[in-house]
Amino acid sequence: MNLKALATAGTMALSTLLGSTAVNAETLTFVSWMKDEKGYGDWWNEVIAKFEADHPGVTIEMTKVARAEYADTMFTMFAGGNPPDIVHLAAFEYQPFADTGWMEDLGPWFEKANFDLTGWAGQGTCEWKGQTYCLMLLYTSYILAYNDKLLADGGAALPTDWDSFLDAARKATRDTDGDGVTDVYGVALDTTIGTTMMGDLLNFVLDAGGSWTKDGQPTFDSPGVIEGLQRWKTLVSEGLTPNNTGSGDLRQLMSEGRIAMRIDGPWIYSATRKAGPDVIDHLKLTQSPLDPPVGGTSNVIGMPSSLSPEKKELVWDFIMLAGSAEMQDRFATLGLSPAPRPGLDYTEQEKSVPYFDLYAAANKRAADAGIDRMPKGLELEYNQVAKIVGEEVQRMVIEDLDPAATAATIQKRVEELVAG
Amino acid sequence: MIDFSSPRHRAKFGYMLLAPATILMAVIVVYPILLSVNISMQDVRIADIAKSEPWTWKNYRWLVKSGEFWNAISVTFWLVLFVASVSLAIGLSTALLVNQRFKGRTLARLLVALPWAVPEVVAAVIWAWIYDGSFGILNWFLLQLHVVKSPVEFLADPTSAFFAVGGAMIWKGYPFMSIMLLAGLQSIPEEQYQAAKVDGASTWARFVYVTLPGIAPVVGVTVVMTTLWVFRDFSIIYVLTKGGPLGSTSTLSILTWEQSFAFFRMGHGAAVGVVTMVLCLLISRALVGRFAQNVH
Repeated sequence: MNLKALATAGTMALSTLLGSTAVNAETLTFVSWMKDEKGYGDWWNEVIAKFEADHPGVTIEMTKVARAEYADTMFTMFAGGNPPDIVHLAAFEYQPFADTGWMEDLGPWFEKANFDLTGWAGQGTCEWKGQTYCLMLLYTSYILAYNDKLLADGGAALPTDWDSFLDAARKATRDTDGDGVTDVYGVALDTTIGTTMMGDLLNFVLDAGGSWTKDGQPTFDSPGVIEGLQRWKTLVSEGLTPNNTGSGDLRQLMSEGRIAMRIDGPWIYSATRKAGPDVIDHLKLTQSPLDPPVGGTSNVIGMPSSLSPEKKELVWDFIMLAGSAEMQDRFATLGLSPAPRPGLDYTEQEKSVPYFDLYAAANKRAADAGIDRMPKGLELEYNQVAKIVGEEVQRMVIEDLDPAATAATIQKRVEELVAG
Repeated sequence: MIDFSSPRHRAKFGYMLLAPATILMAVIVVYPILLSVNISMQDVRIADIAKSEPWTWKNYRWLVKSGEFWNAISVTFWLVLFVASVSLAIGLSTALLVNQRFKGRTLARLLVALPWAVPEVVAAVIWAWIYDGSFGILNWFLLQLHVVKSPVEFLADPTSAFFAVGGAMIWKGYPFMSIMLLAGLQSIPEEQYQAAKVDGASTWARFVYVTLPGIAPVVGVTVVMTTLWVFRDFSIIYVLTKGGPLGSTSTLSILTWEQSFAFFRMGHGAAVGVVTMVLCLLISRALVGRFAQNVH
């Protein structure tokens, strides 16, 4: 055999070998903001490890993208024709992807697998224009995180309704060293424009009997919303909350013992665990004094419609694994909150996970009242609506406007937005 | 076989050598621009490069009617004017200072250039904490010095937020101006100053008639680059105010991002981007032309 023939044979053998490797060794790409997060990130690692063990030769390549630039990145990937194989999105942002036809209708897949979604918390949010585009991974509701020492130092009692909440906020807000600067704030509201601010505001709107929409139509000028705006204005104008501060910084301030109360999701427990020894023992959780509490769907999993049939099968297996009773049980343990799958036995979690029964009860309160922080009927425009609400609320505080006038302006702007 | 050494084909050889770089430039610069123009002419919320919708002027009609767009034009204009002019003044002053011979000049030059070396997002986060209305160091100083009686919400008031953002951008941008002008100052021949002195020119006269004309081309290029930086800067504004409060710091770049990736209206976002690009081209051409004329 001469050298040329040897080289040709070698090249063919190598290409055959590489070709066969490519067929057998499949890699599924998975982008998530939860990678490396304590709790949810650990859960994903377990799901991936089990999936890879069940599917020899298939690996999942998980990449972290920060939450702040997540939507931008996913849009760029989809628009460029290179979406991740496993689609992980926030519950409020999957709709434009589904609307564009980028996501697979999972309805037939659920049907084929005989997967019963009855009672699956928040699954209704995965329905878009009559089709099912995702599996809900988390439905949660807000609870009250408080620092009992700061409340006691201010002479405030643990609040049980709006009036006692306002009273406690006023008493706990103090300049402790007399330098003219407030050192401890009674409450923490996210006053930066965005969906988190809208969620914080919704606490007061719901308690006042209002809601953002009714039967899919905006109701921003309803009495309940006006009362909610009035309460927000009171808290911000009286300086009872740090201004222009986002939720991440607020949780940090709570860890530093500068915030007495914040109504937030169960994640505030993990976020404040890094507090110093003089603070951490005083950080406690209880039911929100506002009724009903804000509840909401959090994040979903789905698959792109452009995948090959073989990859769709694999991704479907991954989704099924994530939704299995075993993994949902692990979700509750590692995520420290109830999983969306109904019928799980939480006896172990109630013993080992702090406040687990509190989260479960809060979820029930919110779910029974049919609460979702995302305004039904305004899903596609959610971010834009949040900006309108945020801007007008800021204007109300800065220019000392009447909440009723602000509510009317929001209603007008949202109606114009919806009308296109 | 073509003989590239012959005078007839020599130019072809030059073009062949240039071709890879030209094609690469076309791919990485021209293609995205054409793509943006294409998306801006489509009535789409989310663009898909695999399929194109029929062209329409709808996005540009939205621009003309949109209050947000005209607000962004206004904010960008005033921010460019504020940042570029103050950066030029500080940059020129510091360049003149560190161009003098004095003990510790090397350290002074290092300190002048330091903010430029700080990553933009890091600088923005530092300034966010400096300006913080509740726990910021600036408020602490002002209170200690009895300049104010209660903390100022720098980023919560439209006017103060504009100047706060401008201040952070000046801090980040003036070192570039300073470094460039220092290079310009050092390129002016010493003989020109000596001749001016022999003619009895005062310090001010030497500055006006020797220094300024000598650095005019550098000023022109630097002002253009600073202007373009302010036009496209996103991270400082996003970290500090996200364009608020009440749109007081919402520039064209913030509006482009917001429409494209926050509101998922890529047609609108692309239209804002195209208009921004055209404005940058016009401004660059006008400024470079004006300073070039001053030189000759």
